Amino acid sequence: MTLEAEVEALRKVPLFRGIDETKLRLLAFISDRTEFQAGERLCTQGEEGDSAFIILAGDADVLVQTPAGEKKVAQVSENSIVGEIAILCDVPRTATLVAANSMDVLMVSKDDFLKLLNEFPDISLEVMRTLALRLERTTRDLAEARQGNSGG
Amino acid sequence: MEKSLFSFIWKYSARQQIYILLITVLTYPVIYILLELPKLIVNDAVQGDNFPRTILGFDLDQIPYLLFLCCCFLTLVVVSNGLKFYLNVYKGRLGERMLRRLRFELFQRVLRFRLPHFRKVSSGEIIPMITSEVEDVGGFVGEAFSLPAYQGGMLVVQLGFIFMQDPLLGLAAISSYPVQGYVIPMLQKKVALLSRKRVKNIRLISDKVGESITGVAEIHANDASAWHSADISDRLFENFKIRYEIYNRKFFIKFLNNFMNQLTPFFFYLIGGYLVIEGNLSIGALLAVIAAYKDLAGPWKELLAYYQMTVDVGIKYQTVVENFDPQDIYDTERLTADETVKLRGDLKFEHVAFSGGAAGQEVTDVSLTIKSGTSSAIVGADGSGRAEVLQLAAGLVSPASGKVCIGDHDLDKLTDSTLGREIAYVGGAVHVWTGTIRENLYYGLRHRPMTEVQREGDALKNYKRSLSEAKETKNPSYDLEAEWHDLAIAGVDNADDLDLKALELLAAVKLDADIYRLGLQSRFDPSMNDTFAERILNVRKELADRIAADPTLAGLVELWDPSTFNASASLADNLFFAVPSDPEITMDQVPDLPVVKEFLSSNGFDKKLQDIGLQIAETMLELFSNVSGSSGLLGSYSFITQDDLPEFERIVRIARSGQTRPGLTDNDRSRLTGLAFKLVPARHRLGVMTDELKAEIIAARTKFLDKVVAANQEFVAFDPKVYLPPLTIEDNLLFGRARVDRRDARRRIDEVIRTIVEETGLRQPIIFAGFGYHVGVAGSRLSAGQRRKIALVRGLLKNAQTTILDDIATGLTEDDKVLRENLRSILSGKTFLFGTSNAEIAAEFEHGFTLDQGRVLDAKK
Repeated sequence: MTLEAEVEALRKVPLFRGIDETKLRLLAFISDRTEFQAGERLCTQGEEGDSAFIILAGDADVLVQTPAGEKKVAQVSENSIVGEIAILCDVPRTATLVAANSMDVLMVSKDDFLKLLNEFPDISLEVMRTLALRLERTTRDLAEARQGNSGG
Repeated sequence: MEKSLFSFIWKYSARQQIYILLITVLTYPVIYILLELPKLIVNDAVQGDNFPRTILGFDLDQIPYLLFLCCCFLTLVVVSNGLKFYLNVYKGRLGERMLRRLRFELFQRVLRFRLPHFRKVSSGEIIPMITSEVEDVGGFVGEAFSLPAYQGGMLVVQLGFIFMQDPLLGLAAISSYPVQGYVIPMLQKKVALLSRKRVKNIRLISDKVGESITGVAEIHANDASAWHSADISDRLFENFKIRYEIYNRKFFIKFLNNFMNQLTPFFFYLIGGYLVIEGNLSIGALLAVIAAYKDLAGPWKELLAYYQMTVDVGIKYQTVVENFDPQDIYDTERLTADETVKLRGDLKFEHVAFSGGAAGQEVTDVSLTIKSGTSSAIVGADGSGRAEVLQLAAGLVSPASGKVCIGDHDLDKLTDSTLGREIAYVGGAVHVWTGTIRENLYYGLRHRPMTEVQREGDALKNYKRSLSEAKETKNPSYDLEAEWHDLAIAGVDNADDLDLKALELLAAVKLDADIYRLGLQSRFDPSMNDTFAERILNVRKELADRIAADPTLAGLVELWDPSTFNASASLADNLFFAVPSDPEITMDQVPDLPVVKEFLSSNGFDKKLQDIGLQIAETMLELFSNVSGSSGLLGSYSFITQDDLPEFERIVRIARSGQTRPGLTDNDRSRLTGLAFKLVPARHRLGVMTDELKAEIIAARTKFLDKVVAANQEFVAFDPKVYLPPLTIEDNLLFGRARVDRRDARRRIDEVIRTIVEETGLRQPIIFAGFGYHVGVAGSRLSAGQRRKIALVRGLLKNAQTTILDDIATGLTEDDKVLRENLRSILSGKTFLFGTSNAEIAAEFEHGFTLDQGRVLDAKK
């Protein structure tokens, strides 16, 4: 897969949807293209996160630590971004990611992503907008859930 | 040393000088006859009559007589020039010998300085003194006596001739001499003083330059380059001023001289002309006198120049020598003696006092006894006199009063040969020599040559010559080529055991892992040890097998395979599939090699690579032209630096405009090619590497291997069955590239390599390969901790009866604690002094002495 294909994939990631072409290409170029094989860990819950993962191909299981051991809570697949919170603020990884099959991942390091945001404020705005939308939706979901709870 | 140059010359070369004088005197008659013969040829042979002449019983007619005289003339010309030639070579050789003697004497004096003296002198000042400043002395030595004798003789003869013609004219000829003889030395003296000042200033400059080079990291770290520049600039101005004044005076002397010399003919014409008009002198005599006076100028000029040189060189000699004559210099005997006294018994300080010349460096009335074979800690903060006490115990400095003894021997009375072998001292400021790790480790065993080198033929002749030259110049005659390592001291029988012993100690001080890593990174020449290369190749094969068998490993490495494209390697690696035989040639320089250039252009690849380079440059410009330099993005990902962007912008503009004029220069093309070469497809996913292009590169690779590598010594091809000397041992083991698109591939592969190396027993040979690692100037390629540990192993290898460590391994970490335990067990049964500022650490030792302000506070018995 070339840079162009990666840009296509990035465009499908909601976080980057509004960013213009050349900047996406730059983001793709400064990222590391990495392969993972089934069973390999992308990251482990609790450790410090230094990069976000954009899945170009394949799927990963999301596991969380429970008293009964690691438990699969979700699966992420193509064109999704995971671990982006860890590169925006200093929080430990909230879950473990394990490759479910062979994967193609674009790893964006925290340092480079922050440099990019610094360099192009419009990307920051775009990221902020997406995060705000997400927050708005989560809040609405939460409110609905509460209403549903009190109603039912 | 001899205070004046002439006493130095006379003391060491009186015999040779007399010999030179005798030969000089020998030339007088030859030159006289050479003046006489032409007269004889013209007056007697050409214009004479009443032939034949009888020579040695033969009767010679006019023509044979002429021939005979001419042959005599020719012979004498040969003899006179031969003598001159012989004399010049002899003088030159004498000068060089005296220079070698002087330089060696100066260097040996440096070694004889007491340690505190080095607080006053620096290498930057001493080096020019020994090298450039005494250079003139050599040239002068040969001339010292012969020149005045020869030229003076000439002068007297010619003056005599003039006086014979007319005493009055003779007086005129020498009338300016008293003035010149009085005024010029006076002026000369001032010039000499100035040149002395200049020499001192130049010395200071070289000292400052040397200091700036040593401390260059500090200069940058503190942004002090402006200050240093100003400092040097100031000194240079000072030098300019002195030089300018010297010129003024020197050329004034010249002016005066020339004027005086021209003044004399004025007298000749006036007095001589008057005498001729009055009829008291023939016009011929006047002309002869003037001609003779012209000849007179030569010797007189030479004598004046000689006088100037004597003053100049004499001053230089004194300016140098006075620096090498400190009052309290050690005897030469201390350096050269070879008898060793066994130092057994307790180490005793008896009312010892010492002062390093500054606060906190005093030792006041210290008396203590350290029992032989025990380990003791000497505790004291910096400035408590601890370092001084330990240096006194090592015999490195001498007490001002009192005595330091081991057994019955006063350390101050012992020579280096005893102190340096019986006591091992490693202080806080260790020195690592420029050279390999091996040379540094075994440095303490290098006392005297241990073997005699067997030489034959020319080698023997050359060696004998060097011995006799050494004797002539009082230099030492030790054989550098001999084996110097004293294996017996280290307690081993052969060099291999010595390596093992060193390895054991390296493990004890925990330096073996570092040296192993250095070994992996080092190159080695398989012609030196082909079994080792063989073993590396075996491990390479085993590693390849293991990688092939294990799917988790297989994805981590791309091995060199002639038939596939290696996406984790650069395009250059892929295209050439070979490395330059000379490891000094980097990949950046490869495109400029003539063979490579020719190969690329012969099959049109140069154009293709330039196109790739152009595509890359365009993409880079597109991606990064809006990125500011301060962001740091360009630095880590682009293979173009921020500074080069405008340059590539220009290149791309020209290339795309399609103009033939002005067009791209060769240099521009070469930059584009260089850019293409650096492309690593798996890392830089620019989309330029199509499958078609990959196939072309593989095809070109085969051609390159056939046409260039096979026919050329400049490249070594990647071949799984061959050890590649230009690559590091690690690269030879792996024989591929860790994949850049797998996380932690490099680290995980390193682990596999380490395991296999351990399993196959290759670790030890790799460590020994690491012994050959070059440590850089004064060990600059090692960390401070590594340097200290190497010095420590160097000290331990000496196996001395007394070992003194100061400020080494004094950390509170677990590592240092283990290290101290190891040291105590290695040195058990020997006298071991350990200097530290920490009382807690001191508690680990059998005995302890606490120092404060140069006094012993208390002693733990």
